[in-house]
Amino acid sequence: MEKQDIISSALLEMYVLGVASQEENAQVKHWRVQYPEVDAEIKSIELAMESYAMANGVTPSDTVKEKIFASLQPIIQAVKVPPVYPLITPVSEKPSAKIVTFSPLGRIAAAAAILILLVSNVFYYNKYKNAQGQYAEGQQQLAEMNSHLTDMDRDMNIVQSKYSKPVALDGLEAAPDAAAKIFWMKNSGEVYVDPKNLPMAPHGHQYQLWAIVDGKPVDGGMITSKDGKNYNIQKMKTFGKAEAFAITLETAGGHPQPKGTMYVMGKI
Amino acid sequence: MQSNLKYSEEELVSLLKVQDQNAFSYLYDNYAAALNGIIIRMVEDSQLAEDILQEAFVKIWHNFKQYDDTKGRLFTWMINITRNLTIDTLRSKGYKKQRQISRDENSVSDYSDKNFSSDRFDTIGLRKQLLYLKPEQKLIIDLAYFNGYTQEEISKEMQIPLGTVKTRMRSGIIELRKLLQN
Repeated sequence: MEKQDIISSALLEMYVLGVASQEENAQVKHWRVQYPEVDAEIKSIELAMESYAMANGVTPSDTVKEKIFASLQPIIQAVKVPPVYPLITPVSEKPSAKIVTFSPLGRIAAAAAILILLVSNVFYYNKYKNAQGQYAEGQQQLAEMNSHLTDMDRDMNIVQSKYSKPVALDGLEAAPDAAAKIFWMKNSGEVYVDPKNLPMAPHGHQYQLWAIVDGKPVDGGMITSKDGKNYNIQKMKTFGKAEAFAITLETAGGHPQPKGTMYVMGKI
Repeated sequence: MQSNLKYSEEELVSLLKVQDQNAFSYLYDNYAAALNGIIIRMVEDSQLAEDILQEAFVKIWHNFKQYDDTKGRLFTWMINITRNLTIDTLRSKGYKKQRQISRDENSVSDYSDKNFSSDRFDTIGLRKQLLYLKPEQKLIIDLAYFNGYTQEEISKEMQIPLGTVKTRMRSGIIELRKLLQN
């Protein structure tokens, strides 16, 4: 590439900004040595970026400087750096003095503009990303609420059904505070259990419902927990007749005959 | 620690190489606001920006020996350190939490509204012109500069060929340069 092509290629801006690829960086470094004009152009891009950043600075709070110096202190003391005298004695002058005088805004390089871009751009891009995240979150919450509501509706239908006969199962010796409720549909014989007040079944265990029919326990089905969390009202096996209901804690999967501890029981 | 001393960039660099605290204080006084401005624009959170700024200056102090003035201006080197630290923070998990909190408090938008208003651009008449930059050009420059993505990463992320990334980045910068020179 010719000097002028290099300068107009935007590669130099990319180099200064640190967004060029490794090969491009190597190429620019090479040109820089080869052509003084390229080197001068890079310097002017750097200056433009610097003057832009200076003009758009945001003064940090005073504590920041204190914190920085406080964190340097221990190291400085530990190393015991001997006093160093400036190579060139600094001149006391106007407090407003700047390090360099910047050329007027007339010739601003693109590098400076990139620092502006984020206002219109990164800021909104991030906002958009945030909004997107919030939207997804909201959608998820809504879906959760909906599914919760559906569960509640179903539960309420069972409880409020005119055919529903509630049977309270009270805690036994193993868990006096435990309780459960059966809703037995007189018309269809469907049995629903509300196990919310049973203690959490330990890992590898499950509650099993029993109907006592003619004095003998008959398997009424396994009570499941959702995600190891809430128990909902759930449909069990159907019974035409029963004298009582009981719940035992069994190893997961259950048994044809109760083997585990009985937690709650209620007579009809 | 305000000082009336004035240093040339050369003097400043030689003094910082031997860890002169006065020179460092001067460096802070002159450049902290500029760097802070850049960080704030990247993180949109003034408190977090100051934490990063603090970290950046401590790093500048400790790593000053690595600065090579033949490779570029002091400020360019400082911007690069600061930008890399900011990108690391943006990519870390801690920042995500932070952002969550900021969002809840609405501090992000409050802050931006105060400080990112475009009064300054309007004075150089840039704001409207920037709108003419194509979104795909802007996005690529953003991803590269503010998110620290390499050209290859952008190509993967956006599922466009590497050559297209390069073309768009360059054409975007050329476009900006034109806008600014007018």
